[in-house]
Amino acid sequence: MNVLPKSVLPAEVPRAGAAIPEWARLGALFGLLSAASILLWGPIGVSSTYPRLVGAALRWLAPGWAGANPYLVKMGELAKPESFLVLGLLIGGFAASRFSRQPAPSPAAIHPGETSRMLRYRDAFLGGFLIIFGARLAGGCTSGHIISGITQLSLSGMVFAAGVFATGILTARMLQRGGR
Amino acid sequence: MDRLSALLVGVVMGALLQRVRASDPGVIARNLRLEDLSIIKFMATAIAVGAVIVSLAGLVLPLHLDIKPAYLVGVLGGGLVFGVGFALGGFCPGTCVVGLAEGRRDAPWALVGGIAGALVFTLLYELVVAPLLPLLNVGKVTLADLVHLPAPLVAGAMAVVILAVVARLPTVRGQRRSS
Repeated sequence: MNVLPKSVLPAEVPRAGAAIPEWARLGALFGLLSAASILLWGPIGVSSTYPRLVGAALRWLAPGWAGANPYLVKMGELAKPESFLVLGLLIGGFAASRFSRQPAPSPAAIHPGETSRMLRYRDAFLGGFLIIFGARLAGGCTSGHIISGITQLSLSGMVFAAGVFATGILTARMLQRGGR
Repeated sequence: MDRLSALLVGVVMGALLQRVRASDPGVIARNLRLEDLSIIKFMATAIAVGAVIVSLAGLVLPLHLDIKPAYLVGVLGGGLVFGVGFALGGFCPGTCVVGLAEGRRDAPWALVGGIAGALVFTLLYELVVAPLLPLLNVGKVTLADLVHLPAPLVAGAMAVVILAVVARLPTVRGQRRSS
């Protein structure tokens, strides 16, 4: 069994004269980006691409069934701008990690209970399942509801964010305490 | 044209999420344990800056706004389910894509989990989900509608509150001032 190291932050490299913290600089840029997106084509959003991907696969495997499924019909074809945004995430994430020359990160335990690599993968899988199920139930995720939603002052984004942080903080603390 | 714009927005967004370490599930777990507030402050700053720009730009330019309806049972219920998954896996729907691009070995598991979640949701939609959606639906409401004030005023006030709070909170627990 592989024993996982505990996840730690990489050492901060102090930058000379860095008066503006990184979260503020990158956060302001992200705000500019989400506003630019609303100006150009629409608010950023990621989670709708998952059911569209499932829809594209099912339309190929079982066209009759997929054509009659009300949710797949509602979500529409994969060729939506959001799908191109997700493609962009792959390109941008790859480029940023290569340009910064960080070593390929190896999986680290994020909770004390993740004592093996398999348990980290299990938690990633279950977490992935729940975030998409929850996001589709709510009609958006961290980007669509929280960032884009609250940027447009929408009540739904604020309600979603309250729900996410309520159980997110509670679950993270329970996993920290109960996992040893 | 929309597709090219969305692709470019995605490229910049992917780079920002990677640089701020939002794609590191350990960083997300520490943020949810409130040991490190870097990602929470990053998101709050983005919302403050974006809201002011969007509300002001809306006065003079045509925007592609898209307010999502607040069907409270589904939106809150979905948020509660999302929070559990967010803490357990340490990924959100976008950061696991960035994590995959970085070469994180746990990120593809989150993506496969997400596809499985989307499939199960699709299968349950007609029977279980669709009847829940009309419950407590207050529609496409904004905070500006609720307080009956112009959007730039509400966005400005929200931005001031958000920025004042994040500037005072420490980024790492135990640290006094933000840095």
